[in-house]
Amino acid sequence: MKVWSIAFNTFRENLRDKLLYNLLIFALLMIGSSLILMRLTLGEFHRLILDIGLGSINFFGVLIAIFIGIGLVSKEIEKKTIYTIISKPVARFQFLLGKYLGLSVTLLINTAIMTAGLLAVLYLQEVPVHGVLFKALGMIMVEFMVITAVALLFSTFSSATLSAIFTLAVYVIGHLTPDLKAFGQKMDGLSQTVLEGMYYVLPNLERFNLKGHVTHQLDVPVSDLLIITAYGITYTAFLLLLASVIFQRRDFR
Amino acid sequence: MTFSSRTQQPSHSATNILIRIGLLTAGCMLSLVSIVQLQRSLDHRTDRTIAQIEELAQLPRGEYLKPALLGYHNLGADILWLRLLQVLGKKKNTADEYEWIFHAMDVITTLDPQYDYVYYVGGVVLTNIANRVDLSNRLLEKGFKENPTVWNIPFLLGYNHYFIQGDAVKAAEYIAAAARLPGGPAYLPGLASRMYAEANNPETALQFLEALWRQTQDDGMREVLEKRVKEVMIERDIRLLESAVNQYKGKQGHVPAKLQDLVTSGYLHQIPEEPFGGSYKLDSKIGKVTSSTHPDRLKVFRLDKQGSV
Repeated sequence: MKVWSIAFNTFRENLRDKLLYNLLIFALLMIGSSLILMRLTLGEFHRLILDIGLGSINFFGVLIAIFIGIGLVSKEIEKKTIYTIISKPVARFQFLLGKYLGLSVTLLINTAIMTAGLLAVLYLQEVPVHGVLFKALGMIMVEFMVITAVALLFSTFSSATLSAIFTLAVYVIGHLTPDLKAFGQKMDGLSQTVLEGMYYVLPNLERFNLKGHVTHQLDVPVSDLLIITAYGITYTAFLLLLASVIFQRRDFR
Repeated sequence: MTFSSRTQQPSHSATNILIRIGLLTAGCMLSLVSIVQLQRSLDHRTDRTIAQIEELAQLPRGEYLKPALLGYHNLGADILWLRLLQVLGKKKNTADEYEWIFHAMDVITTLDPQYDYVYYVGGVVLTNIANRVDLSNRLLEKGFKENPTVWNIPFLLGYNHYFIQGDAVKAAEYIAAAARLPGGPAYLPGLASRMYAEANNPETALQFLEALWRQTQDDGMREVLEKRVKEVMIERDIRLLESAVNQYKGKQGHVPAKLQDLVTSGYLHQIPEEPFGGSYKLDSKIGKVTSSTHPDRLKVFRLDKQGSV
């Protein structure tokens, strides 16, 4: 109950954030711009709409997750509003969870709006919509959840600017981890162990990327989707627990 | 200090502010106009198409570019394709440029190996417009490996081997592979079997060309194909004429003085029209027929000397 009220308040607070609307409008403009670019290309016109649409939804969603996520906790500490919450009978992990859920709901609604934009463009151009599109969108949402948790984790112990840099770095690394494994396999001994360890601990965000499957209409089996989702949720849980541990020990001065 | 600022205060009257806003707006407009002018003069100085092609040449290899795109490689392939199309749209490209165009297509298809349309366009352009069948084959082989179910990639490989490289057996294998795939036109199996049986028959070649012509939407490409059709027609006509000349020689004991003699003595209904608007000429000493517009015969069909192509 306490978690939900914090979540609801976080959601309302996010709605007042001008950054959210900027990014949302920009994403919708990008999706719309595929209509113009489409006239320049040759061959598969549909794929341009799908690639730009899914790319924009993914990219701007990640930006929203990062740039609103980093402020979730650090802003409260900066404005000293955290005292009013912490002094109430609310456990610190409940506070974090509430913050997290609030932003997740914001992201869900944002993704829904951007998806509606993409579907409108697809409908206008009479592009057939396949089920795999929604599977890919679902996986994009799972990726947002992981990124939000990363932003929240950094937000519990560092400033907003540093958190933004760290989270962006994790986002980049998260898409390059398959290379870590490949490099590790070419080495031996300790370096291989270290690289493989890093590969398994860092989030493998490339797993959530099904955008190519939509373009080529390759279906993904439901069992795979379930495992990917389970991976995302478990990783999110790990990050939130780690954030709670750090946050529990933190002094507010 | 305080005194002087106080005395200046009244001078900030309404008209003064209006003048200031006016001046600032004028400054804004002036700088905007100069920005546009500067941009235009820069555009004039540097030729955009050259710059675009140079950009393509400096494109990093697909293997390195793909991880750098952080999962947006499909979109990256789309954007590169858009830029490449602006270069391909030029009337004529130099030999170097085709190397780079191939490189760009290689990068695009590494970013998105299932982008089958790029293989198709690349295969057609590199063979017929760039005369680089080696590059065309490399791209198409890559595409065939990545997309074993797309019929028009082996179809184009068959075309390259049949017409450019003169390897009818290999070509027939590719066409047969294309014929086994779903979505291909119904005439493919028949074409493949005919190609196996009569590798150097112009009629078969004409059917093949017609099939490719129906596949192609691009006007420039169709022009190239129509030219090739006419060249094959010349070959067909010359064979017809020469066999009639041989019959004549067998019966009469000498080569006819002119081609018209074949019609008057009933070996042919009429002399075929030269498709380029020229005429056929008979060398009455050796009994060979040549076209006035294309004195050299097509290499591909001299398969009686197979392997020498």
